[in-house]
Amino acid sequence: MSRIALALTINGQRHDVLTEAHRTLLDVLRADLGLTGTKENCLEGECGVCTVLLDGMAVDSCLLLAAQCQGREIVTIEGVSSRGGDDVLARAFIDCGAVQCGYCIPGMIISATAFLDEHPSPSEAEVREALAGNLCRCTGYQKIVDAVLAAGRTSGTETRGDAR
Amino acid sequence: MKTRVLGKSLPRFDAPGKVTGTLVYAADFSLPGMLVGKVFRSTEAHARLAHLDTTRANGLPGVRGIITAADVPDVRYGGAVKDETVLARDRVRYVGQPIAAVAATTLEAAEAALAAIVATYEPLTPVFDVETATAPDAPLLHPDWRTYTAMPILHREGNVCNRARIVAGDVERGFAEADRIFEHRFRTAMVHQGYTEPRAAVAQWDSAGTVTVWSNTQLPFEIQNTLAEILAIAPSKIRVVVPGIGGGFGGKLRVGVEHVAALLAKRAGRPVKVLTTAEEELTAAYPRQATIVELKTGVTRDGRITAKHGRIWFDTGAFAGSGPGVASVATLVLAGPYRIPNLDLEGHAVYTNKTNCGSFRAPSGPQSNFAVESQMDIIADALGLDPLDFRLKNIVREGDEGPTGQVLNAVGLEECLVKAADAIGWNDRRPGRWRGKGLACGRWTTTGGSSGVYVKINTDGTIALNTGAAEIGTAALTGAAQVLAEELSVDLEDINVVSADTFSTPFDFGAQGSRTAFAVGNACRAAAVDLTRQLYALAAPHLGVEPEACALRDKHVVADGKSLSLAELARLSQATGGGLIAHGTFIAPPTPYDTKRVESHAYPAFHSPSFHAHAAEVSVDPETGEITVENYVVAQDVGFAMNPTYIEGQIEGGVAQGLGQALSEEIVYDGGRVRNPNLTDYKMPTTLDVPRVQTILVQHPSLVGPYGAKGVGEPPNIEPPATVANAIAAATGVRITSLPITAEKVALALRDVTARSAES
Ligand code: FES
Ligand code: FES
Repeated sequence: MSRIALALTINGQRHDVLTEAHRTLLDVLRADLGLTGTKENCLEGECGVCTVLLDGMAVDSCLLLAAQCQGREIVTIEGVSSRGGDDVLARAFIDCGAVQCGYCIPGMIISATAFLDEHPSPSEAEVREALAGNLCRCTGYQKIVDAVLAAGRTSGTETRGDAR
Repeated sequence: MKTRVLGKSLPRFDAPGKVTGTLVYAADFSLPGMLVGKVFRSTEAHARLAHLDTTRANGLPGVRGIITAADVPDVRYGGAVKDETVLARDRVRYVGQPIAAVAATTLEAAEAALAAIVATYEPLTPVFDVETATAPDAPLLHPDWRTYTAMPILHREGNVCNRARIVAGDVERGFAEADRIFEHRFRTAMVHQGYTEPRAAVAQWDSAGTVTVWSNTQLPFEIQNTLAEILAIAPSKIRVVVPGIGGGFGGKLRVGVEHVAALLAKRAGRPVKVLTTAEEELTAAYPRQATIVELKTGVTRDGRITAKHGRIWFDTGAFAGSGPGVASVATLVLAGPYRIPNLDLEGHAVYTNKTNCGSFRAPSGPQSNFAVESQMDIIADALGLDPLDFRLKNIVREGDEGPTGQVLNAVGLEECLVKAADAIGWNDRRPGRWRGKGLACGRWTTTGGSSGVYVKINTDGTIALNTGAAEIGTAALTGAAQVLAEELSVDLEDINVVSADTFSTPFDFGAQGSRTAFAVGNACRAAAVDLTRQLYALAAPHLGVEPEACALRDKHVVADGKSLSLAELARLSQATGGGLIAHGTFIAPPTPYDTKRVESHAYPAFHSPSFHAHAAEVSVDPETGEITVENYVVAQDVGFAMNPTYIEGQIEGGVAQGLGQALSEEIVYDGGRVRNPNLTDYKMPTTLDVPRVQTILVQHPSLVGPYGAKGVGEPPNIEPPATVANAIAAATGVRITSLPITAEKVALALRDVTARSAES
């Protein structure tokens, strides 16, 4: 199969990958680059465990071809905490007891990161709307929603860092 | 009780790895040179496998090995009935049944190989429902069923792989004493556990003939033993290691991908990873059985239940799976948490040409409870009684008997019911047009089985806890670690947990049946008692006292105004002996019951039972039938709350999952084929579907659990279907007797009512 050379910017670092044109960003992240913090499940854009930031927007990396991501800024869960030392969300997830099996959590945190960037002090309804594409089978969402609300409150008062 | 660690909402020890993406799950696990394993599956529901041709597939680029039934040991395995083979040999029994497997260098190469395998079938008459399967001249799925090895107590006959029964008193006399007799029939759908991490396993053989399997199983020791049967090698040649698990809910109890990975790895001589797809999950996993329930209940005019005749049929699919046991457990649930002197309760597990069903959080609980608790409301309405009063009149109380004669203690049911009803505002059951409230209650078991732990005190004063149980997400091992920390007067951060490796961790019955925190917690207590004794013996001469004069306080052994830290004592012990190490074990004591009341029963009593009541308020759109759960309350008797936050988490998550079964989830079969094998059409609740849940923790300490704890994880999944069914009936006046209660069903039922009232 013919391969293409891609230059991907992931978590602020440039990665040169040689890969087949049909491969998804998720595939390249997990298999080629060992960034397994981004999870895989349905591979059809239905569960959100594969969510990453693409130019600051939360997207399902299982639906994106790696080739579409050339020249764009990708942030994964591994890179989130390095964004201006911003681990307010991760802390809030732990403090609120929002983590059970944890498999959905990286995707949740990524979705919440993108959302809080746009809506620094959201309502509960807005948080629920923003996370509607991320399935969690363990928590019933309540403590996840609480964590995002808490992180919104904290970052609202602390001024969030922004490394992008 | 004044505690240091226990009973506090401390953060789980594995949270940091989970929020940063660094914890490695089985699906993330990889080894150098690892191949991709894929399964070739039957496209027919019931057929003779006439011919299988893998020649072309074998020659394709990247293919490193293909296995068919001819290449693997000819063994049948299974839990209660050994009726299953790894790969179909001469007959296929469901669409999706594994026939062959391929190992290849890439996923694309593996998929190309699957496409090149040719199977030829000769159709056999399929059986798609339990009514047909139990008819006198039904085609048999397993014509050789008599030759299968099975648990001796089972009652098997043709397509029925168990019929379990409870008989107490005399139902006919009970019905004769009744003023009214109510008969109803209910149905529930097949549903999937819906864990977010697909099942995954990586297998690797070494030159000594030992295979290591990294798998997201809930039961590493069970997998070890099953693999020993399947691979026909000694269990000691099989090492099962559990990395992180992305949820299980009972769906990861039994061998699913591990055997395929191990067999392919052997064939290819390289490590192999098998990871299921969403389609495989929804067509060929171990979902919850669809059921039919028939209930006949006799009551007096003033609302006393005199007799119950209940029957439940489990559509267990092509193999027995968990069916025989689940059918047994169901009979205990069919009794309801009520005092009923005369009972005749039967559970049937029936083969059909569908995927093999398994265990899903509180197996049989939601289906049976949906029927029982729906009927309770129907009866209350018919007698003009308040459903809460009707329940309170009949519920079991301290010292009462369970359906099989076990004596019940620590019964917190009344408190649960009253508190849940109060919290939902029960005195206003129909607070507006198309708005209504419902409640349901039940009891559940804390599964027994044994647990062992090794505990070591390190020279820096930290503690190593080595357990054979896997942490599947419930924080049960955090609870157990809290018990250990409390007993040794250290902090939770001082405990390091190593878990679930069959080569190095002690045996554990596994993360199932709401038992992990309960059983591992008790094993930790036992280990702590031993360690404390060792600590005192070691410290006493240095402190110039007798061991009996010693006490443990804040990470020190203290006596007579002097003290030695755990760290110092560990160093001392390592210098002079083998270190401070203890082995703690626990086995749940048997629960006595009346053996004369049960037949062919695999689960005759609920151990350290928990009690619970749920209440919901719903609103219904009369045009579309759309249901909104506005408020939801759970009052659960947990015995003792080891870590309230994570108990709430279990309850909130269990309710969400239960609401999925109640309102939207169904694996839809049509002619033996699943019509919705993807997460678009298999509808699990999202943030927009699940209400806030108010949790009320009721604590009537059990006699056996650590500090009185009872099993917590499964119960919250049991009552949601009945609770919302009752609330919907209160809101609309229509009673839906089948799950899921979709908007469509409600709209159609409402239209029927309107049409009928227009006619009359
Ligand atoms: S794996 Fe990408 S949305 Fe499910
Ligand atoms: S924590 Fe398990 S799926 Fe969300």
